[in-house]
Amino acid sequence: MATCLCDAFYDDVARATVEVLEYLGCTVEFPAGQTCCGQPAFNGGDWEASRKVVRHTVKTFAGDVPVIVPSGSCAAMMFHEALLEFEKEADLPEIEAFARRTWELVDFIVNGLGIKTWPGRYDAVVAFHRSCHLRGSKSGEAATTLMSSILGVTLVPFGEGEQCCGFGGTFSVTFPNISGAMGDLKLDHIRKANPSVLVSADMSCMMHLGGIAEKESKPIKTQHVVQVLRDALKNANLL
Amino acid sequence: MKTQPIDQFAAHLKADTRAAVYDGSKKGYDARIKTLFDHFEDPNRLRVVAGEIKQHVVENLDTYLPQVEAKLKANGVIVHWAATAEAANQAVLDIMRARNATKMVKSKTMVSEETGLGHFLEKNGVECVETDLGEFIIQIDNDHPSHLVKPIIHKNRRDIAMSFEKHGLGAYNDDPQTITRRARAHLRKKYLESDVALTGANFISAESGRLVLVTNEGNSRFCLAAAKTHIAMVGIEKILPRDRDLALLLNLLARSATGQQLTVYTEFITGPKSAAQPDGPEEMHVVFVDNGRTDVLASECREILRCIRCGACLNVCPVYRQASGHAYRSVYPGPVGAVLTPLLAGKNFPAFADLPKASSLCGACNEVCPVNIPIPDLLLRLRDRAKQEHIPSPGTPPMGPWAVLASRPMIWKTALTGGKAINYVSTKLIPVPALHTWENKHSLPEWKGGVFRKWLRNRPAKSSSS
Amino acid sequence: MSANREAILSRVRGALAPLEKRAPLPDWDNELIAMRTLRGTVDAWPLFCERLKLVNGVSFESLAALVTWLDGQGWRHGYCDPALWASLKDAFPATFTVETTFDRTRVDDYQFGITRAAGAVAETGSLILTDKTTSSRLAALAPWVHVAVLIRGTIFADLQHAVTALADDPNIIFCTGPSKTADVEGILIEGVHGPGQQAALLVEG
Repeated sequence: MATCLCDAFYDDVARATVEVLEYLGCTVEFPAGQTCCGQPAFNGGDWEASRKVVRHTVKTFAGDVPVIVPSGSCAAMMFHEALLEFEKEADLPEIEAFARRTWELVDFIVNGLGIKTWPGRYDAVVAFHRSCHLRGSKSGEAATTLMSSILGVTLVPFGEGEQCCGFGGTFSVTFPNISGAMGDLKLDHIRKANPSVLVSADMSCMMHLGGIAEKESKPIKTQHVVQVLRDALKNANLL
Repeated sequence: MKTQPIDQFAAHLKADTRAAVYDGSKKGYDARIKTLFDHFEDPNRLRVVAGEIKQHVVENLDTYLPQVEAKLKANGVIVHWAATAEAANQAVLDIMRARNATKMVKSKTMVSEETGLGHFLEKNGVECVETDLGEFIIQIDNDHPSHLVKPIIHKNRRDIAMSFEKHGLGAYNDDPQTITRRARAHLRKKYLESDVALTGANFISAESGRLVLVTNEGNSRFCLAAAKTHIAMVGIEKILPRDRDLALLLNLLARSATGQQLTVYTEFITGPKSAAQPDGPEEMHVVFVDNGRTDVLASECREILRCIRCGACLNVCPVYRQASGHAYRSVYPGPVGAVLTPLLAGKNFPAFADLPKASSLCGACNEVCPVNIPIPDLLLRLRDRAKQEHIPSPGTPPMGPWAVLASRPMIWKTALTGGKAINYVSTKLIPVPALHTWENKHSLPEWKGGVFRKWLRNRPAKSSSS
Repeated sequence: MSANREAILSRVRGALAPLEKRAPLPDWDNELIAMRTLRGTVDAWPLFCERLKLVNGVSFESLAALVTWLDGQGWRHGYCDPALWASLKDAFPATFTVETTFDRTRVDDYQFGITRAAGAVAETGSLILTDKTTSSRLAALAPWVHVAVLIRGTIFADLQHAVTALADDPNIIFCTGPSKTADVEGILIEGVHGPGQQAALLVEG
């Protein structure tokens, strides 16, 4: 599942996902009818609209192969949040079945495929923003496990790493003052650690933090974990 | 465009206040992490079990309430019931009037804040003195608490010194120790003159009827050493099944609230003082208060009734840290307040419908909650309810048209290609308010609609687009 | 009042009626709340002293040391539980004024109060006071110093054991260090309403 953000803005994240999965020996299918996971409407409070999109997604991904998504937030939408809005719906079992075969990408690589180290080389000081949708999942640890095994990567911690960046979907435009202040604070902490790249497992955090930094004319390079993995392979001519 | 109330509040908050709230919250959070994780092998397991115990109580209140009532009566406690805030306040006043009592000392209790007991009693000629230092300062300032366990988190020492001076508690002096000593001297007179002590309850055991009260300052203990009548106002959800469950919850409460291992004074009360004891209440009353709790119980958000009022969710909440407690416009601020306030508001739900939306749904509140309340899920349920009740939500983009777009692949693909326009034309021309709000603070990344799909189509077959 | 009772209980029943099943009461093992650093500790008294110190309390193993401490701080006017005074009085020099009834009209005259503890909790450094063993709730609270006389064999290892063995007493209080607040700017101040000094004196059973 490429996600709407990859479809619209982060084409290279989707591309890196395909390249990395193929490098690992997977065959990737891309159902062309896919759109979005339904989370914007779910978070925006319009569950009826959201269910419509979730149903479309489940139909589009019919089958039994694992569904891999390079976004902690879309993954959580599928394996947790959709279940809430379908609680009283007749097709809940289908949603549950779909939830069971949905994986966040990094979790899939580490805990699904059992890959614990990553080859190649990536020379960078990396600040890893553990996006909120990774809470309570194995993805955050999976991402740091992989990245810290890459030659050339220095992971730097930064202040209040447990705090949210302030994006929150429609929250960012409905509560722009609070969301913006949260973003400023997060950027402040990240900049103090002086990383060469800010890495996340969610494009939405990258878009929020990167967008604020850019607007301030103090841009910060943002990368998805999978871009780091892919580039590490490329840098060592493994891809 | 004017954003929703809580966002406006945050936008206009004084920098001093924000800094005070931020620092206080962060300290609480850091202390919590340290004690819980240093002390226990698996602190998260504690939270999960505690949550299961409380959920069991909530879902079995029909059994536990009569059980605890019988225990209390057997222990010599007089039990009252109050369906509403008014009934609760009246019950307290009636007890006082029957004893010609005119002076009350009050230990901090959230449920009495909820019912507005202090103002009600004052109007009816009862002197009612808050004894928790923070609450006392709130009272003389005619202010509102802005945190569950640190009611004056929004004030600094200078604010307090000025109000002490104004209220005849000594010349201006902003030394925290001096402030505390002055309150000590002033309040001990109030304890000793009082007729009635009012407290809440942190827990009440159904097994023994033991009512547990915790304070760090010892104010609740002083109340119960000085007054002759004890009234405890207790929310109907405060029950724990067994005495041993008290140990689990006490282990979690102080650590979650302040990072202490145990609150300084942890008092277990089963009734009036013993005959040989010279000090303390000769009679004890418990007023069980509903005030909207049964509505919460009937809702799909009943998990919020597990709450033990530790304030950990406030401390960790990035929105609370930016907006402060007063932004929530009720007794219960922060994440717990964003759920509880609209639910307890009854018919007034629309007035607080912005609160559940004022969250990035980051989940930090759930992660720290000592009773593992899935706060984000409850916020989401309330958002859905607000939408179903057609309550307007300024600034939230309409999702109906989006859902149409996102469930029709052909239109979606066309939009992806067509969206490229935003790379060339001014976004000001695009009639999407959310986009303009976004661009006030952020740059928009370059539109790359369709690029990935084209790449996938045009490369040598390996993986496929189906 | 009974109308309120019926209203609440019937609303509770109504709210719970649609639930297909109710959440069960989980059982849990004491090990869950065992503090890992304290596991396997044998002697409760040293641990109690160490934990009491962490919450700014003080402990004494001899009466003489306690008297020297009080004297050194200039705390020479106090109250003592009459049942204890007979065995303690010889250790107090004549410069001390110790009363055995607590007069609530002049609570600030007493700099210290000595009462009996019913027990203690080692892991938290808490002293357990009960109505039965505390000769006056006020005397153990209002003076600047509270001294609890603790019998060695009455110290529980941890909170779990103490809570499940609570005495049959209408009022039991665990006192964990001096009274304190951090309401003003998060700064710790001790001695808010209760004692600014919490002491324990160990005696053999």
